[in-house]
Parts: sequence; C-alpha cells; structure tokens
Amino acid sequence: MKVAIAGKGGSGKTTIAGTLARVMADRGQRVVAIDDDSNPNLALTVGAGTAASGAPGIPRDLLEERTDAEGNKRLELSIPAEDFIDRFGVPVRDNLTLLIMGQPNHGGSG
Amino acid sequence: MRGVLNGLVAETSRTTIVDLEAGLEHLSRGTARHVDTLLIIGEPYFKSLETASRSFALAKDLGIKQIRMVANKVRTPRDEETVRDFASRHGLPVEGVVPFDDAVLAADERGEALIEYQPAAPSVAAIRRLADGVLNGRR
Repeated sequence: MKVAIAGKGGSGKTTIAGTLARVMADRGQRVVAIDDDSNPNLALTVGAGTAASGAPGIPRDLLEERTDAEGNKRLELSIPAEDFIDRFGVPVRDNLTLLIMGQPNHGGSG
Repeated sequence: MRGVLNGLVAETSRTTIVDLEAGLEHLSRGTARHVDTLLIIGEPYFKSLETASRSFALAKDLGIKQIRMVANKVRTPRDEETVRDFASRHGLPVEGVVPFDDAVLAADERGEALIEYQPAAPSVAAIRRLADGVLNGRR
C-alpha cells in the first residue's frame, strides 16, 4: 500500500501523514514514512522527536547521476531501496522508519 | 531528488506514506504511477477547496489510481456540509473528515507527536478511521 498526501501549507497535511504512518505501524504493517516536503516536520508528527529533524542530507555516494531518454540528468539510487531505507532511514518504531529526503549531502566534494 | 523518490516508492515492499511537497507540480509521472492512493487535504473554506479541486484535476492527469479528499479542521456540521457539497459537485470522493482539535495545537506547541500527546484525541480517532478506509480501498 502506497499513500501520498498533498495539501497546502497549514492544511494539517503533515499531522495527518505522520499520524497515519503511526496508526498503520501500530496495526503491524512495516511502514516507511517519507518526508518530501522542503520544510520537513514529519519527524515530529511521526514521533521521531526533534533529533531526527536535523538528520544530514542523503550521502552523495548512495546516489548516481543518470541521463534519461530526453537527455535530462537526474539523481537516482545507486543501491536497492530497502538497503537505502535501512542505512539512511531514522528508526522510529520496530516496524516504522522515517526517511527525510532533503537535499543530497555533497560533503567537501563541492 | 525526483529520481530518488521515484526509485524508493517503486521498489520498496513496505507500506509507504509520502508527505509530498505542498503542490503536486513536483510529482513526476514515474512516482505517481506507483502511488495507490492520493489523499488531498482540504479545509472547509472556499479557497482551500478550490486548491483541492485543482490538485484533483492534476492528479487525474498524472494517472493516480485512487484520489480521495480528506477534510481537516472541521468545526461544525455546516463545515462538513460545505466540504461534502463542494466535493460531490466536483466528483471528488471524501474519504475522511477530521475535526478541528485543540490537541493538534497543544501537541505542536510541546513539540510532541499528536498520537503520543493524546492517543484518544478526536482528530486521532478520525485518522484511525481514515486508515481503515484507505486500507479497505485496496480490495
């Protein structure tokens, strides 16, 4: 089951997303909650506390640049999604992981 | 980062909840294809409902299978009626109605998760019912 949640800022979208993730995890599902918002608050509403909101950007070495058929370059995962979630996700509960997309962390490589 | 989100949503076998950027404009067709259900959160006033109906049209264009509206911060039966009237005129199914709830503001002020601050809050109860509806829609 894959659910995306949209709404204007201030609509309560993130509260609903985080609580929904918790409810589904409480029902025994293995859940990944993905924060795609440029102003990430999902950490709080999912119950990961404030520590997770300072999570670093995605390590650059887990991404690779590919060029699509139209010649557009874009970043894609260089490892399987499950490995990525395990390595980069913030564990909230045994069966609930938070992923903050944010921006890639380029480190000193410029 | 579109390619990364796309890859995650496409590949993972876990139940996935994506809190999207405010607009749907950034959602790629590649990602949309793998989304079972899109929940559009709207508030019971005209501008918010207009925005929701625009998102609905865009989501249909992207080919998302199930698109549902969730009314949030609903204070009165009249609020709910406003949302339901608007939604039915636009052919937009309403999956949930979440009441306005002081617990949401209080949890936010304390920096706590709503479901931890007040697990029995009316808003949490409504989101539990929403989860039932979304999961049943999979059948």
